[in-house]
Amino acid sequence: MSGQEYIKSLIKEAELYQSQGLLAQSKDTYLKVLAFVKKSPNFRNHKKLEGAIADRIRGLEEGLVGVNRPALVPDLDPEVQNLIKNLFSFSEDQNTAAMEGAMALARFGQYERALEEFRKLLKRGILPLAAAKNILRCHLALSSPNDAIDQYERWVSGNQLSKQQLEKIRDFLQGLLERKGIKASLPAVDEPGPPEALNRGKEGDVLDISSVGIRLSEGPRKGKMVEFDVTFQSGDVISVVVSADEKELLEALKENVVLPDMQFYSPIAIFKGRGVVSGKTKIRSGPKQGDYMLDIKIESG
Amino acid sequence: MAIFNAKNRIIECKIVYYGPGRGGKTTNLEYIHKAFTKQRAGEMVSIDTQGDRTLFFDFLPMGLGKIRGCDVKVQLYTVPGQVKYASTRKMVLKGVDAVVFVADSLEIRRKANMLSLRDLQQNLAEQKKSIFKIPLVLQYNKRDLAEQDMPIVPLNVMERDLNSKLKVPSFPASALRGTGVGATLKACLKLTLHHLQKELKWAG
Repeated sequence: MSGQEYIKSLIKEAELYQSQGLLAQSKDTYLKVLAFVKKSPNFRNHKKLEGAIADRIRGLEEGLVGVNRPALVPDLDPEVQNLIKNLFSFSEDQNTAAMEGAMALARFGQYERALEEFRKLLKRGILPLAAAKNILRCHLALSSPNDAIDQYERWVSGNQLSKQQLEKIRDFLQGLLERKGIKASLPAVDEPGPPEALNRGKEGDVLDISSVGIRLSEGPRKGKMVEFDVTFQSGDVISVVVSADEKELLEALKENVVLPDMQFYSPIAIFKGRGVVSGKTKIRSGPKQGDYMLDIKIESG
Repeated sequence: MAIFNAKNRIIECKIVYYGPGRGGKTTNLEYIHKAFTKQRAGEMVSIDTQGDRTLFFDFLPMGLGKIRGCDVKVQLYTVPGQVKYASTRKMVLKGVDAVVFVADSLEIRRKANMLSLRDLQQNLAEQKKSIFKIPLVLQYNKRDLAEQDMPIVPLNVMERDLNSKLKVPSFPASALRGTGVGATLKACLKLTLHHLQKELKWAG
């Protein structure tokens, strides 16, 4: 193959890579052409050719900067946002599915809409701790740390979240702000309201419980309080997911085991009580496949 | 994570087109959208692309009609192939029932194919799924470039690189022309339905 033919074939290759969007590969191929031309000063029009190839390389470099730059995520149409929300909510439990949908919106950069969804969840008392944390994440993703702080302050002065939840949220927000290099003095959480109002809502109804603490009475973590988010609640039976990796925990929380020291967290209150493990089922499908669903019957609050 | 609605006898499953960036995953879906009009259950949605690079995912719903008395619905997705979109790939792969791995036949993409296949294996493992057990089909795309004297990897080498351990069905293809696209999808659907029959103990 003559030098001219070699250059022609390399240029053809580089053009094809460029047409395929393989800009780095196209640039590498043009660099080969350039090196070859530079080594052949007697090549006809070599200066002109060198200049033309260098121009193409510059163009590709500009293109590569664009490709490597973090993509700007636009606000998608509400229809597309709904599609994302529906496609990425996998759980059968409606509340967990709603949380997954909202999280998907956030992961795809639809923070404003995600905020809306998390606020709805929090208002309905669904997974409040997770909803609240995600609301703060969205504010920070929207570059509004002040909104996150204002929101936290509103929660502290309101009664949507329990003291324990607010303390966790405070630590969480503090951590987020520190990572962003923002120093803020977040107000401490006050004591919750009177305990008699805490454990029951309307007469005979158990309040919606968002998370639960269980003090273990056996196993290596004996005496320790372990906390779980409640994924489902039907009357006085709550369900929590325990990872299959938590073998000791699963062993300690056998069916019919009485749990004498429990703490129940609801959006408006915390109460102590006892419960009994009324069921333990292995999850057969979905993202939590292999983990265990524990049903706990609340015996007194 | 196929959904089987026993009451209405509807099965919904999810197939994800996976592979290195610029390998032709979106082009596969575009061809399917154009060619399989009868099976189309809705429009193809390309969610936020930058130029012609997929940033999020593409989505195409299909209906296969009744099989053994069940209405079978299939959702086809693509993932963004670029390495930096790892978290989006994981997310789109969640709940997947079957995978079409679209490999790029260009010689310069040989390593990218292998890295992407390994990435698939890892992401499946995170979902407690094995690449050796999930319905999987390989597609060796861009075979047409050989006609333009472009350096492409011979099929036997692609088989050795990507399929020597997996031993799954593989198809040469040109997604741009549509060659091999239908065969790939059909083989994947066949494997998926067979797998679901076993998983869901679904009989007529």
